[in-house]
Amino acid sequence: MFRNYLLTACKVFMRRKLFTAINLLCIVLTLVVLMVIASLLETAFRPSGVEGKSERFLQVFMMRMDSPDGRARSSTPPGFKLIEKYLKPMPGVERVAALTLPTSVSVYQGNNVSELQMRRADADYWKVLDFRLLAGRLPTPADDALGRMIAILNASTAQRLFPGEAKAALGQRIDVSGQVFEVVGVVEDAMHLNAYADIWAPISTFASSGYRNDLTGMFTALVLAKDAADLPRIREQVAQIAKGVVHDDPKQWKTIRFWADSKLDLFARILTNSDDGLDAGAGKLMTGIAVAMLVFMLLPALNLVNLNTGRIMERRSEIGVRKAFGATSSQLAVQLVIENVLLCLVGGLIALGATAGVLAWLEGAGLIPYLQVDLNLAVFGWGMLIATVFGLLSGVLPAWKMSRLDPVHALKGAI
Amino acid sequence: MFRHLLKLTWKRKSRNLMLSLEILLAFAIVFGVAAFGLRYVQLYRMPLGFEGGGVWTVAIDTGHHRDERIDATRYESLRRGLAELPEVAGVAFASFEPYAMSTIASDLRRSGAGGKQVHTEMTDADDALAGVLGLRLVEGRWFSQLDNGSAQRPVVINRRMAEAMFPGERAVGQQFVDGEGARINETYRVVGVIDDYRAKGELAAPVNFVFTRFEAGKGERDARTILLKVRPGTQRDFERRLNTRLKLIRNDWSYQIAPLSSTRAAMMKSRTVPLIVVGVIAGFMLLMVAFGLFGALWQNTTQRIPEIGLRRALGASAAGIYRQIVAEQFMLSSIAIVVGLMLLVQLPLTGVLGEHLNWTVFLAAAALSMAVIYLLSLLCALYPGWRASRLSPTEALHYE
Repeated sequence: MFRNYLLTACKVFMRRKLFTAINLLCIVLTLVVLMVIASLLETAFRPSGVEGKSERFLQVFMMRMDSPDGRARSSTPPGFKLIEKYLKPMPGVERVAALTLPTSVSVYQGNNVSELQMRRADADYWKVLDFRLLAGRLPTPADDALGRMIAILNASTAQRLFPGEAKAALGQRIDVSGQVFEVVGVVEDAMHLNAYADIWAPISTFASSGYRNDLTGMFTALVLAKDAADLPRIREQVAQIAKGVVHDDPKQWKTIRFWADSKLDLFARILTNSDDGLDAGAGKLMTGIAVAMLVFMLLPALNLVNLNTGRIMERRSEIGVRKAFGATSSQLAVQLVIENVLLCLVGGLIALGATAGVLAWLEGAGLIPYLQVDLNLAVFGWGMLIATVFGLLSGVLPAWKMSRLDPVHALKGAI
Repeated sequence: MFRHLLKLTWKRKSRNLMLSLEILLAFAIVFGVAAFGLRYVQLYRMPLGFEGGGVWTVAIDTGHHRDERIDATRYESLRRGLAELPEVAGVAFASFEPYAMSTIASDLRRSGAGGKQVHTEMTDADDALAGVLGLRLVEGRWFSQLDNGSAQRPVVINRRMAEAMFPGERAVGQQFVDGEGARINETYRVVGVIDDYRAKGELAAPVNFVFTRFEAGKGERDARTILLKVRPGTQRDFERRLNTRLKLIRNDWSYQIAPLSSTRAAMMKSRTVPLIVVGVIAGFMLLMVAFGLFGALWQNTTQRIPEIGLRRALGASAAGIYRQIVAEQFMLSSIAIVVGLMLLVQLPLTGVLGEHLNWTVFLAAAALSMAVIYLLSLLCALYPGWRASRLSPTEALHYE
C-alpha cells in the first residue's frame, strides 16, 4: 500500500510540473536557511576538530561576587590566582588549563601594522585542545617556567606576516605592541570558542607578573576530565571549591560563586543571563531555538498549505472514487500527509546540496574568520528532521480539509 | 462591481482566509525590516555632534596594577611626550572614546525638592577634548582653568539633556545632583551646552549626555583613554612611533592604539550586520511568498474556468476578466494590510518600542511595505489574469 502511495505521489507531482517546482523551491528556500543555522550550531557545539575533546571538558569563564549586604554584585572573568591556587590542584581531573580571552594587538613590521587577535595560554592549553601543528613546536611547561618570549601563529597569520611556506615564519621575530616574540610554531586555522586567535603566547610573557596575585582578571579555566561520565561530579566539585574561596577584601565581597560549564551551558549562561546557580539555562536556550525555528517555518508552511489546498481541489474526483470504494477519511489524510512529507524530504535533499554551497560561500567570504563547517551525518539527520517537521506542519491542514470532502459531491466534481 | 467582488471573495472564505493570513505575515515581516532600515536612515541623518576625522585613540591598560591611580605628573608627562610628536596636533584625555562599547550611565535630578530623575550617559573629559573632537558649543563655554577649585563639579551637557532637565530655562549656571534624598553623592554645575554628542555613533539613538570635568589625579576614576588629533596625511605607520613613544613614558603598561575611523567601521559593522542578515532572510521569504501567491492564483483561475467561461459567454470582455482577477487579488491584499496595520499601529500607540518606532518611521515603513506588498500581488496576478482573460468562451464552457 505504501508503494501505491509513492506511485500516486510521483504521478501527481509529475502531472503538474510547474507547481511541483514552485512547491520544491519554497521548501528548499526555507530548509536552506534552517539547515545553515543547524550546521553552524552543530559545528559550534559538537566536539570536533580542535575542540574534539569538548565532550569531556568544562570551563570556568565567569565568577560572581556578592557584597556582605547583598546589594552590590560583580561578574567578572576569574583571575590567574583563582585558577592556579584553587582549580589546578583539583583532584580527579586530567588537567586544568589557563587561558586569556583574545585581545586585539598590533604587530609592527617596518611600516606595516597588522591588527591581530592574541591569546595567552599556558602549556596545558595545548594538551587540552587538539591543534594541528604545521611547523615547529608547541609551548612546553619549561617555556612557561622560564617566561620565554615565544609565539605561535596560525597558518593564515603566518602567511600574512611571512609569505611563503609555513616554515618561513619559524625563528622570525615579531614586534607585538612593543614586545618582541620569536615565532616557534605554526598551527592550522581554527574557529572555535576556546581556540579562536591569530597568535598565541605563554601567560608568563605578560610585561609584569602582577597577574599572579589577582583573583579576578581576564582568564578562563578549561578543566579536562578523564572521562565524560565524571563531568557531573566535577561540576559539583567546582561549586564546592567556590564556597571555600576568600576574597582579598572580604568586607567588600563576601560570597564568591563560579561554575564549570560545558560549551552549551556557557552560551546559555551568557544569553539567558543566569549567573546565580549551577543550572545555566541550557534547556531554556534549546527550547528558545526550537520555538524560533518553528515560528520561522510558519510563513513558508502557510504558503505550502495554500498551494496544497489548491491541488486537492484538482484531485477531488480521485478522492471521490477512493471514498466511494471505502477508504476512510483518516487513510486519505495519512496518504496526503505522506505525499507532502515525501516532497519535503526531496526538497530537504536538494536543500542539503544548496546548504553546502552556502556554507562554502560563508567560509570563503570570511564573515566569520577561519570558519570551517563540514556537512556531516548529524547535519544530514537534523536537516531531514527539520524537513519532516515542516512537511507535517504544512500537510495536516490540507489533508484534514480533503478528508472532509463529501464523496457524492466529490465524484460529481463539485466543491 | 465592488459588492460583486466582495461576494465572490466571501464565497471562498476559508481558502481566502489562508491566503490573507499569508499576505498578512509577509506584510508584517516587510514592515519589520523596513522599520529597522528606515530608523537607521533617520538616525544617520541626525547631527553627530563631533568630528572623528583625524582622531586616534589610545586605551591605556595598566595591566595588573588595575587599582593603581595615575597621578597628575604622569598625565602631564603623557601630554607633553605626545604633543612633542610632529604628527600630533592635540592631546585630550577622557574615560571613553566615541564609538566605544563602554558606557557609564546615571540617574540625576535637579537640586532642590521635587526634581525629577533624568537618565543620562556620562563621561569624564579634560579641558582639551572639545578642541580634539570639534564639539560645537551653543551656550556657555567648555571646561578651562577657570573651573579649578570649583565647589561643584563642572559639567557640559548636550541640548537634549538641557531640555530634559531644565525645560524652557537657560541651563548654564544651573545645578543638578546625583543621589537620593539626604544622600547626595555629587553636585554638578552646568558651564556649557553643546549641540549634541552621540557617543555610540551615527546609528545609535540620541541620548542625554553629560561631560564631567576630569582633573588629573582627582575624582573617583582615571581617564584612561587618550584622544589625539593628528595632522592631515598621517599614515597608519604612525602607530609604531606612537607606541614606542608611549613605551618610553611607561614601559609596563600596554596601549591599544586605533584610528577612530577603524573603531567607527567596527561599530557600523556590528550595527548593520543584523540588518543585512534579517534583510536577506526576509528577501528569501518574500520570494517564497511571491511563488506561493503565483501558484495559488494560477490554481484559482484554473478552477474557475467554467465561471469565467460563463461570464465571457454573457458578454464580459477579456479586459473585464483581467481586471476582475487583479482586483480580487488587490482586495485580498488590502484586507490583509488593513488588519496588519491595525495590529502594528498598536506598537507606536502603546510605545513599547519607545523612540525607535516613532510616527515618522512607522508611517514611512507602513507606506514602503504597502507598496512592496501591492507590487508583489500585482506581479503575481498579472500572468494568471492574462491567462484567464485569453480563454475563449466556448472552450471554457466545455472545460471539465
